Amino acid sequence: MESAPADATVRKPDAPAIFYDGMSNRRRTVEVRFNDQLEIDEDGSAPALWAYADVRRADSPPGILRVTSLSAPALARLEIRDPAVAAELVSRCKQLGEHLSDGRGVAKIVGWSLAATVSIVLVVLFAIPLAADRLAPLVPPALERRIGDAAEVQIRTIFRDRVCDSKPGQLAFSKLVNRLREQAGLDVTPQATVLSTPVPNAFALPGGRIYLFEGLLAKAENPDEIAGVLAHELGHLNHRDNMRALIYNGGTSFLIGLLFGDVTGSSAVIFASRTLVTASYSRKAEQDADTFSIGVMQRLGRSPKPMGELLFRVTGKQGDDALSFLASHPLTEDRLKRMSDADRSPSGPPLLTAEEWTSLKAICGSSN
Amino acid sequence: MNQMSFVGQQPPPLPPVPVSFTGERRKFFRLLARGAALELVTVGFYRFWLATDIRRHLWSHTEIDGDAAEYTGRGKELLLGFLFALAILVPIYLAYLLVSIEVERVQGFGSFPLLLAFYAFGQFAIYRARRYRLTRTIWRGVRFWMDGSGWAYAGRALLWGCLVILTLGLALPWREAALERYKMQHSHYGDLQGSFEGQGWEFFKRAWWLWLCAPIALLLFPLAPFVYAEFKAVEWRWWLSGIRFGGVRLESTLPRRALYGLYWKTIGWFALFSVGLGAYLGFFFYLFFKINGVTKTHPVTSDMITASLPILIMGALGYLATILSLNVIMRLYLLRDVWARVAASVQVHGIEAAANVAARGDPVSALGEGFADGLDVAGF
Repeated sequence: MESAPADATVRKPDAPAIFYDGMSNRRRTVEVRFNDQLEIDEDGSAPALWAYADVRRADSPPGILRVTSLSAPALARLEIRDPAVAAELVSRCKQLGEHLSDGRGVAKIVGWSLAATVSIVLVVLFAIPLAADRLAPLVPPALERRIGDAAEVQIRTIFRDRVCDSKPGQLAFSKLVNRLREQAGLDVTPQATVLSTPVPNAFALPGGRIYLFEGLLAKAENPDEIAGVLAHELGHLNHRDNMRALIYNGGTSFLIGLLFGDVTGSSAVIFASRTLVTASYSRKAEQDADTFSIGVMQRLGRSPKPMGELLFRVTGKQGDDALSFLASHPLTEDRLKRMSDADRSPSGPPLLTAEEWTSLKAICGSSN
Repeated sequence: MNQMSFVGQQPPPLPPVPVSFTGERRKFFRLLARGAALELVTVGFYRFWLATDIRRHLWSHTEIDGDAAEYTGRGKELLLGFLFALAILVPIYLAYLLVSIEVERVQGFGSFPLLLAFYAFGQFAIYRARRYRLTRTIWRGVRFWMDGSGWAYAGRALLWGCLVILTLGLALPWREAALERYKMQHSHYGDLQGSFEGQGWEFFKRAWWLWLCAPIALLLFPLAPFVYAEFKAVEWRWWLSGIRFGGVRLESTLPRRALYGLYWKTIGWFALFSVGLGAYLGFFFYLFFKINGVTKTHPVTSDMITASLPILIMGALGYLATILSLNVIMRLYLLRDVWARVAASVQVHGIEAAANVAARGDPVSALGEGFADGLDVAGF
């Protein structure tokens, strides 16, 4: 026997609807009747009854009305191609489009998104700095030292053969650093190293290791200048600034990334907003480190002013810079002014003898 | 005398049926424009609903044998998947940070291989995201569905990825064939089993000279879109022609040059908008500097910023509007138009094998889509 398509023998002139029962994908041609419930009639089987209140619209191409029912199998679909029948159905089913996204639904989405945005901004501006301040001191020193160790390995890899190790210079440097450390109440065991590179900078790793770049050493004219810079770096260690910046930057980046997703060409916007937000936070940390340095130098009986002069020599006048509101440090002129205001005549012994200073300046072996 | 055979002959196979795409371009553009505006207002949160609306439009205007498909996913599902994924990703990121600190102590820069873990995670997300989309696809009242393991897939993707890198890209056709086979063997339509019969060798035969052209195309810019567009066209055609569901076979006749125009138009619009944005921002910066008398000795101060806030806001809005417009253009040309052209090239053979398919399979959660969004990966 030939198998005939199901609708070949039952095609009626007014069979307006196609029905899928949600159990198989057989196309069933049905008749639709509007009684007190929607009656879906197929030859040879019991009619399906759908309550009008349960009928919902499903996506369809233009010209076809496709509906399902909450009480029917989830994937059951009735497709109506006749416009008159479709109009009749639409008029009887009051909740046809209830679940679709319409004006009210979109307004709700907009409302919740704005609320989420406001709360994220508030968290970034207030809660994260607070969390960073509170959590940083709780990080155990052992963990901090491990982070420092990890950074140390990377630095060693980069600066493998640039360590300046002339013995008298190293002795002088350790003496200078440990005097500062004692005054700051910090551990004197970690190493202090001078690295041979023309960059004028210095930094301290969590865990206490100090690195001074030769570029800065070359520009210094007396031990007090270097001491002020190193005391500033020790201030960062004392305030656990590394951990705080880590928590702060990490949290801020995460939240701002979450906020923007990837819709607004976000890399530029995220970078800009992140820079603006973290710059002012780091300016405050730098100011506090300066305060710490002033305190240490004064307690040692030396003047903080030389540090400001060294800074000025290195950076030049920064006020010209049109983008100073993005700076991570306060303006050099402002820092010099602060140091000058705290100037005292020396009331303690020099931090290094003239001989030790000469050895230190020559630590990297090349002529200075 | 011949007995009438009751078993009878097989009915003659039906001719191949075309796939047709009936979506109106203007309607889609309006959808994109409205979506872009809402994305701006909701600072990006609307993207879940926009993605859903785009898929609903594309699916419901794609007709196979006269019946349009249906996408039953919803924006709320994507949002929830995203939030769940974040809840899982945050501790993973923290763990990654801690582990890489430990590793770095032992070996400098030794934490780079941990990035491979994130790559594998991204592949897991791609598999699960596809599963979500597939289980939300209905045709003739029956659901597509997918089983299989996202991690098994991620492992395969990682190994094949290493091979591709080692062979400088030559192994890519075989990678795609192997991964697609895994995906399709675990895909089903109702009770029809899916499979993939595209061969890596076939793909390689059609595309090997594009691999040769690629380095040259990167240097001579005008060549690059041609090479990429042709690669994509070859890939689409090969992929579609390999798809099987039970006895149903897809075939695509997409010409090689089919996508040239689309990529060039996209680039053209990008160039136009970039120039326009540059001029627009330049004008506003000029205004700002002129009004506030900014010079080398009189730099920008925070008072100036507050005084000229409207100018800066106009500038920022212009930037955002440009970015959103570029997103709209990309989706219009490289999503919808590509879909329309590819769909028009597909024919379905053996549709009679899909005549009476029993419903199977359940919808899955959108967690994979959430991971993909959180990890910023995309795939198909």
